[in-house]
Amino acid sequence: MKDEVILTKEVTKVYSDNGVPVHALRGIDLSIRRGEFTALVGPSGSGKTTFLNIISGLDSVSGGEVWLNGKLLSGMTGKELSDFRRDSIGFIFQAYNLIPVLTVEENVDYIMLLQGVPKGQRRRRVSEILETIGLGGFQDRFPTQLSGGQQQRVAVARAMVARPAIILADEPTANLDSKTSGALLDMMRELNHKTGMTFVFSTHDEDVMQRARRLITLKDGRVASDHTTD
Amino acid sequence: MWIYVKLAFRNMLRNKRRSFIAGTAIGIGLASLIFVDAVMIGMDRNMIESATSTFLGDGQIQRKGFRRTLQSDLTVQELPWIVENLQKEDIVKHFTNRAMSYATISSPANFSSIELIGVDPDTEKYVSEIDEAVSEGDYFQGNNARDIVIGTKLAEILEVGLGSRVVVTVAQAGTGVLSQELFRISGIFKFGITEMDRGMVFVRLHKAQEMLGIGDDVHSVTLVLSDPSFGLDGDLFLWEKYSRFDNEAIGWTVILPQVEAAFAMSRFSAYLVGLILFGIVALGIINTLFMSLYERMFEFGVLRAVGTRPFGIAQMIVYEAGALAVLSIVLGCILGFLVTYIMAHVGFDFTGIEYVGVTFRRLLYPVIRIRQFIEYPLWVFAITTLIGLYPARYAAKLLPSNAMRRTL
Repeated sequence: MKDEVILTKEVTKVYSDNGVPVHALRGIDLSIRRGEFTALVGPSGSGKTTFLNIISGLDSVSGGEVWLNGKLLSGMTGKELSDFRRDSIGFIFQAYNLIPVLTVEENVDYIMLLQGVPKGQRRRRVSEILETIGLGGFQDRFPTQLSGGQQQRVAVARAMVARPAIILADEPTANLDSKTSGALLDMMRELNHKTGMTFVFSTHDEDVMQRARRLITLKDGRVASDHTTD
Repeated sequence: MWIYVKLAFRNMLRNKRRSFIAGTAIGIGLASLIFVDAVMIGMDRNMIESATSTFLGDGQIQRKGFRRTLQSDLTVQELPWIVENLQKEDIVKHFTNRAMSYATISSPANFSSIELIGVDPDTEKYVSEIDEAVSEGDYFQGNNARDIVIGTKLAEILEVGLGSRVVVTVAQAGTGVLSQELFRISGIFKFGITEMDRGMVFVRLHKAQEMLGIGDDVHSVTLVLSDPSFGLDGDLFLWEKYSRFDNEAIGWTVILPQVEAAFAMSRFSAYLVGLILFGIVALGIINTLFMSLYERMFEFGVLRAVGTRPFGIAQMIVYEAGALAVLSIVLGCILGFLVTYIMAHVGFDFTGIEYVGVTFRRLLYPVIRIRQFIEYPLWVFAITTLIGLYPARYAAKLLPSNAMRRTL
């Protein structure tokens, strides 16, 4: 229990689609431990993104419990959830989703700014992580001045710079070519290895699946299989 | 937080064309407010000048009851004391004595009822514009006591011209005995105000006093003050000081209350125009902010996902409204100044138009005041940011997962 950073108990999620109930998740029981490099796989509509949204507090459950880093998410106010996400979760989205009006440095810096980290410390950590992801000289560029792969690397840097316990990534390589996505995955795995942060991905990508240490397959809102690969 | 201010300004500049169009629309609203205010001040000033400098003066001292009845035995009391003290008053620029009475005037062709006014030409010229309004003949040149100056309309009615002889009949003060005098028309004036051009007749003061049998007494001491706005002040010390010995000292707004009512109406109209303009501006701001918000819905979802609090999102939207206000204020002030400055030099020609008994006799020049460039921009800023609260509240209440699903 002590090592479990994500714990879900009988989690269900029902959407209403024009009055018709849609069961996106049907009682998910999962436990993900600290430092895991986990991939959520399954066909479209299997509930991967919904599950990521639920365990990050971006969406609420219809039933069941979600414990993150030892804290029960249901019952937290909007402000508490915001602060919890800020301090405990890093997000990587499919379409990069950097803030277009902020430079690379400002994008990466943003979360630490919200945390109130002193300026000098922020600068140092931004500089370090940009060096780590190979974008050392790109701090003053705006996202539109970067390639897709570079933008996704900045998104990784933004997700990791505040040193959260968990990194959640929704199809992080979906918009990248195979070479770039391979390099990005290697980099993320290396960071996982170095920092011990927990990574959870949703993916259709074979490369991601091959690199994941644990593969959880969702089907029709249920866990169909759960394998540890090494 | 500074990051939200930075985000707000950069987001505003993100779609420069839209921000510029929205800013210009709000700016035009602000410029209109500045301009309307300047025109209102100019109109008030013009009306005051038209009302007071023509004949009325900024204030008058009369015997109580005279204003209502024009009864010729109600002469000003203690005139020497009044004259002596008025000469010492700093705020009194000029004053003149007048004798006034209802009378009739007749020519071989016709007759008419009139208001006979005895004036002292030497002091009257500093108080009224009779001398400037004389279009034919002259204004009491020489010492002929039988000179009379009448208006163009009256000349038409009497079918007389310069040099024609007319007879004026008045009832003497106290006794009511009729007194008649023969005059020769030495001047014809044209104020452009019908009541004056057909109803007022000017003779020398001593002649009027003689006809009315009031000795050296007068019916009115008419004042011109150093600042015309003093006349608007109902609490001016002058009114109290000279309202004694059964006399009343009053500002011109008491004599012509309809003009002050017109000022109030003008101000109300200005507020109404302002309200309508702000209403249009408000809709423009809401539209602009919501367009911008819907375009960036996913972005707000991401910002919420990475830990921005709902209040932070709301702050950002309000700052964006503020940034739009700053842009609008810059544009509006420049536009407002340029238009007002040009019109303040060119002027509007409303001359001859009568409004609440006052005929505009000069060009109307809008008046620029620093206040217009402080007060109105502050209002625009406050209202714009206040309006920003509505989309801000909407954005703050968005569920991150919903926001990331909803894009245009």
